[in-house]
Amino acid sequence: MRLLSASLCTERRARLTAAMAAEGIDVLVVAGNPWRSDYLRYAADLAPTEGHVFAFIDRQGKARVIADLPAEAARFRAEQTDLEVSWSLSPIAEAEAVIGSYGSKRLALAPLAAVPYRLATGPLASSMASATAMLDRLMLCKSPSEIAALRRAAALADEGYAVFREAARVGRPEYALVADVEAFFRSRGCPENFQILASGGREVRGMHPPTERRLAPGDLVTTELTPCIDGYYAQICRTLAIGSPSDAQLRAFAVYDEALAAGIAAVRPGATAGEVARAQNEVFRRHGLGEYVTSEYTRVRGHGLGLYVDGRPAVLEDVDLVLEPEMALVVHPNTYHPEAGYFVHGDSVRVSADGCEVLTRTPRRLFSVPGA
Amino acid sequence: MRRGLISWSRDEVPASVLEGRVARLQDKMRADGLGAVLIYTSFARPSAVAWLTHFVPYWNEALLVVLPTGAPVLLAAFSKRMQGWIRSVSHVSEVQSVAQLGRAAAALLAERVSGASRIGVVELDALPWPVAEPLSNSQATRLADVTALFAAIRQPADDTEISLAQRAADIAVKALGSIPPGVPRASQVLATIESSARLDGAEEVLARLVPDLAAGSTLRRVEGDLPLGERYAVEISIAYKATWVRVVRCFSLRTPQSWHHAQRWTSSWATRITGAPADPPPGIVTFWSLEASVGSQPFAVVASAVGPRGTVSAGTLACFSIKLQLPDGPWLGGGPVVIGGREPGRVLVDPLRA
Repeated sequence: MRLLSASLCTERRARLTAAMAAEGIDVLVVAGNPWRSDYLRYAADLAPTEGHVFAFIDRQGKARVIADLPAEAARFRAEQTDLEVSWSLSPIAEAEAVIGSYGSKRLALAPLAAVPYRLATGPLASSMASATAMLDRLMLCKSPSEIAALRRAAALADEGYAVFREAARVGRPEYALVADVEAFFRSRGCPENFQILASGGREVRGMHPPTERRLAPGDLVTTELTPCIDGYYAQICRTLAIGSPSDAQLRAFAVYDEALAAGIAAVRPGATAGEVARAQNEVFRRHGLGEYVTSEYTRVRGHGLGLYVDGRPAVLEDVDLVLEPEMALVVHPNTYHPEAGYFVHGDSVRVSADGCEVLTRTPRRLFSVPGA
Repeated sequence: MRRGLISWSRDEVPASVLEGRVARLQDKMRADGLGAVLIYTSFARPSAVAWLTHFVPYWNEALLVVLPTGAPVLLAAFSKRMQGWIRSVSHVSEVQSVAQLGRAAAALLAERVSGASRIGVVELDALPWPVAEPLSNSQATRLADVTALFAAIRQPADDTEISLAQRAADIAVKALGSIPPGVPRASQVLATIESSARLDGAEEVLARLVPDLAAGSTLRRVEGDLPLGERYAVEISIAYKATWVRVVRCFSLRTPQSWHHAQRWTSSWATRITGAPADPPPGIVTFWSLEASVGSQPFAVVASAVGPRGTVSAGTLACFSIKLQLPDGPWLGGGPVVIGGREPGRVLVDPLRA
């Protein structure tokens, strides 16, 4: 039982093989773990849930995998019977030995973010930057099958947000909302989700994992939901009010809604990620809120989507990566508002031939749920 | 990638306990002449830093700097506005929001540690290159791997950790017990477990299933959905306030007699894993392992049927997993245990009850 449809695996493998050939790489060594599993997922369709994993992708032969937990190794073996899988208490040393065993073949090591110190200072050190860049290029613009997975993930994000709205009731602790959403995603076959949230008023400066705080009338409840289908993450950000929104909350919403629309309107081939950020930030500046789009109050105005929850490009004014068709990103002008507190509003989009397609469909509203 | 409730209960994890753990490390550091110890933490490798400070990175990464005296310093690749949250869930003296962990660590070491001192790094070989590179450039000759030093103080578990493990085990048992009889799909099992465990305060819930014990005994991560056989098995790994346990249970509408024998035998075996062998098993033992947290990962194999057979010290908090081939087919069991010494060990989830 492979994780993915055979066609998507075949398609990704073909693109990777061609890229390896173009770069003169015989064997690509890919490191991964549950935090950075994206490159491993792309190259070998492996999704580790624990431990270190190293995959050796031979352009012309069998792939080999080393894990450091026996249950993970057994799982990989069962998922892909054509893999040669072993486990080791010292997977890094084992990987080093395997690298040495390839003799005169041309090897490369990636990704920079997950390569461990010992391997990074070994014989493949000089290959890391170019091999990582090669994989980054492959992963940035999506194939039709990858876009299809993102569309399904976006639709699930919309459904997940409907569950979240139902879960958000006065007196419930934040973690109960996440329990309901995660249970819903599991019921729909979605194995992973990244979700943070916050509740409260002007004192709220950002989102975080759920706490024991109980929702109260007058709260704003923010969340970003990022479910994963076939490994691909799509994200939605929305804010709801407990009870009827106050005038201040409605005024804040109008700014974020305008900024989100401006950001999405800026997404088109040839635009830079920086221009998408600037389009959103200009709205805040026009409303006298320019202070709140600085790093003191916010992180990014969106980011890439794909096999990693927070991928390239970061949507920031100084990022000059040029958007191309079939890139996917979330546009979110999330930041603090001095009258309302932290506020989020964002949608996943696909860069199309002449603009963009908005993948998430939840109405852009300041939702409200019963306040009593 | 997911996490649930992350909160620091001072009743369940008193600051004095965390300070005691840091003091154990600092005693060793002074004995070994180390000027500092660096411990990396990420979503994938949270355990060492969480054990010392209660900090769990729900995403991103951080580096803990422990000096020979005083409370640790946390260098966190989180934005500055997250400092309040980090402080609310962690016991550290100082939190610095930094863009580049390795560069920030190198600067901190230059400022606070004598140039002659060695710098210990827990799991130096595994340090991600973007973190390691600046340290390697500036401190290469001073860096020393102190994985063994950390492992030597990490176990045996203290009463606080065992209490958290017991709570995690209780959450797991309740979640497994809430699975309705005869459910046909894996997604129903997973949703039930997820809801039960998270509403009970679990920080994380990871499940693997053997969907049909008539077709094999490999635990799978379910992506999409799978039909369940008449007999299936579920392994759940539950984190509660950064303490992880695994519990494994087999399900059948009509429990075979051999499963009762297996549960009884395993209940006895688990208390004597590192001691005298239990009675002959009721079937063929096809696999067993004992996992404990001795470094940055929640689980590392410390003994197994096909791997290390080293000694595991008395009082170690571990999780056992076992597979038996019974006359009725494969059977899986597992749960947390406190390893015994002269006295038998203590199972936190009795296989007879699970």
